Amino acid sequence: MPRYEYGGDEFIFVELSEEMSLEVNFQAMAITKQLKEDNVPGIVDICPSNASYMIRFQPEKIHPDDLIAKLKQLEESVSLDGFEISSRIVDMPILFEDPWTHETVMRFRDRHQDPSSTDLEYAARINGFDSKEELIQAITDYPYIASMIGFVPGLPWCYQMVPREQQIQVPKYVRPRTFTSERAFGFGGAFAVIYPVQGAGGYQLFGTAAAPIFESEQRLHDFKDSMTFPRQGDLLRFRSITMDEYEKIRKEVKDGTFRYVMKDFTFTPQQVLEDPKAFSDDVLGRLYA
Amino acid sequence: MSEENKVLSPLPGIFYRKPSPDKEDYVKEGDPVKKGDTIGLVEVMKNFYEVKAEKDGVLEKFFIENESEIAAGQEIATIS
Amino acid sequence: MIKVKNPGLETTVQDYGRIGYYNVGMPPSGAMDKYSYTVGNILVGNDENAASLEITYMGPVLQFQEDAVIAITGGEIPPKINGESVPMWETLSVKSGDELSFDFVKKGARVYLAVAGGIEVPLIMESRSTYTLCGIGGMEGRALQEGDELTIGTNKKQDVKEGTSLPDEYRLDFSGDNEIRVVLGLCSYRLTEDSKKRFFEREWTVTTEANRVGYRFKGERLHFMEREQPFGAGSNASNVVDLGYPIGSIQVPDGVEPIALLNDAVTGGGYVTICTIISTDLDKMAQVKTNEKVRFVSVDIEEALQARNEYRDTVEKVRQFVAK
Repeated sequence: MPRYEYGGDEFIFVELSEEMSLEVNFQAMAITKQLKEDNVPGIVDICPSNASYMIRFQPEKIHPDDLIAKLKQLEESVSLDGFEISSRIVDMPILFEDPWTHETVMRFRDRHQDPSSTDLEYAARINGFDSKEELIQAITDYPYIASMIGFVPGLPWCYQMVPREQQIQVPKYVRPRTFTSERAFGFGGAFAVIYPVQGAGGYQLFGTAAAPIFESEQRLHDFKDSMTFPRQGDLLRFRSITMDEYEKIRKEVKDGTFRYVMKDFTFTPQQVLEDPKAFSDDVLGRLYA
Repeated sequence: MSEENKVLSPLPGIFYRKPSPDKEDYVKEGDPVKKGDTIGLVEVMKNFYEVKAEKDGVLEKFFIENESEIAAGQEIATIS
Repeated sequence: MIKVKNPGLETTVQDYGRIGYYNVGMPPSGAMDKYSYTVGNILVGNDENAASLEITYMGPVLQFQEDAVIAITGGEIPPKINGESVPMWETLSVKSGDELSFDFVKKGARVYLAVAGGIEVPLIMESRSTYTLCGIGGMEGRALQEGDELTIGTNKKQDVKEGTSLPDEYRLDFSGDNEIRVVLGLCSYRLTEDSKKRFFEREWTVTTEANRVGYRFKGERLHFMEREQPFGAGSNASNVVDLGYPIGSIQVPDGVEPIALLNDAVTGGGYVTICTIISTDLDKMAQVKTNEKVRFVSVDIEEALQARNEYRDTVEKVRQFVAK
């Protein structure tokens, strides 16, 4: 049963499920999309999350209990049948085992479950892979959905679009690090993330994204409308790249000419849930067509 | 004897008498100090604020122990 | 122009905040004590979203390069002009060349310097507030530094007579206990009944990690209900599937030390949140110093809304008093 909770006098928090699944993420998306379209007065922010969502509102315009009643009604009426997600498929070039996150990984070894191996080696082992290369293969073979945006501006939580038994899971650091480099590619729980800016963090670190996902100067084409690039519902494909390609992309970013490889794409939850493998092949086919 | 000078903490936080745990104290009781010498640190909001002597003299006494809580305006030491 | 001769410990440009971007992970930033900030703007006749300086613990030294009308509100960090004490909560005029400085903090933690016209910096997402983590807003996205020159803007609606002084009833009162009202909820179901009880029974001490991002408290360990962790949550009992954090929510990573998330905090993450500070008491939280003790008091939603109404009535009375 979903939980409807007050977050003080300005927020309502709705936990649809305690556990993560693609179904529940689609449900949060569908409810919040309908709420947006209903243009309810007094709503300030609509924040769909992984297995929950959160609304900021002005209680002068709508009483929290009336808002909860409205949300419960949406929960009843909104169905995943016929729900279409307008999304983008995006190529996300990642340099795995890069020198910068490696330095961080080594510096904070005393805060890790297994100080004697790297984050990538540790994650490969506990997920039953024979090598870190196999883990990288599993991460890059299937696309992810940006299931939530937040923590800091533009950070995407990414959930792989594969059946649960195929999901990669890793714990967070025993004690969070005080430093994570900009664009670090991390993994925690069942989620992959890219850190938009330098800061603290507790996810296992596997690599660095070549392209920015936050740009306050808004120089690059993909940042013209917003400082943050990822949007909830985006389909992200993490692609393992070489140092040569990494440096080429960094130069394009510096010159202001970099543009993400991406395609607009509309899909339904059924397509994903019924045959994830076929869906994934379709997504990757469209992206690189 | 010259006029006594009270050194007060401008900030609330944790007071340290040394730059880092494995280093010597900035100054010991009875040591001479010069105006502008650092006599301790106050940690707050991830900052370390250097507390400095405001006159030349001898650091007579500390009123607060290393690594203890300090309030804004609390007396740290006297310089005579 | 206002010249920064000494920036103080952490002085930032803040307005009402960057509202409406929480869904992309953008925290509101903005003045932490909204009441003092708002009253400051009223006392100088500004639009109520004009930018002011938020001053924490140790005040800056500022030199005015033009005549200006100012007001200083908030905690007690006694202001001086050219070395002479001047009152807080009052419309003051300063002359070109005058120097504003501050004594040691006596009560509270933050004061607001409102200048008629507001501090002029570029609007980023409709706000002038500084958010240092991403380096946006305010003065180049950072706290003030020595040598900065602040431009006075044009966000003034009306003139306020010099010497307009707020009666005591509209000033902050530090005589009571630091009681912070919260609405229990969010993932509080994860705490054991005993820990829930202890959270409200005991006093919590503010640690040195208390800034615009959040306040961390020392007290005792809290415990979580035993369960098999749900899929995707992470292995620690204080972990949940990453979710949104309301502004003012309190989390307890690993049960060790509660953290109240404030204006510049992260907007979501994977820790259990147990309650939310009501909006009016966020102002009060902002005036609590490191090493001071607080007690959390549980209120229901109607009490929270009542407090909110009283707050709005008080601001309206201040507005009327100043307009007279």
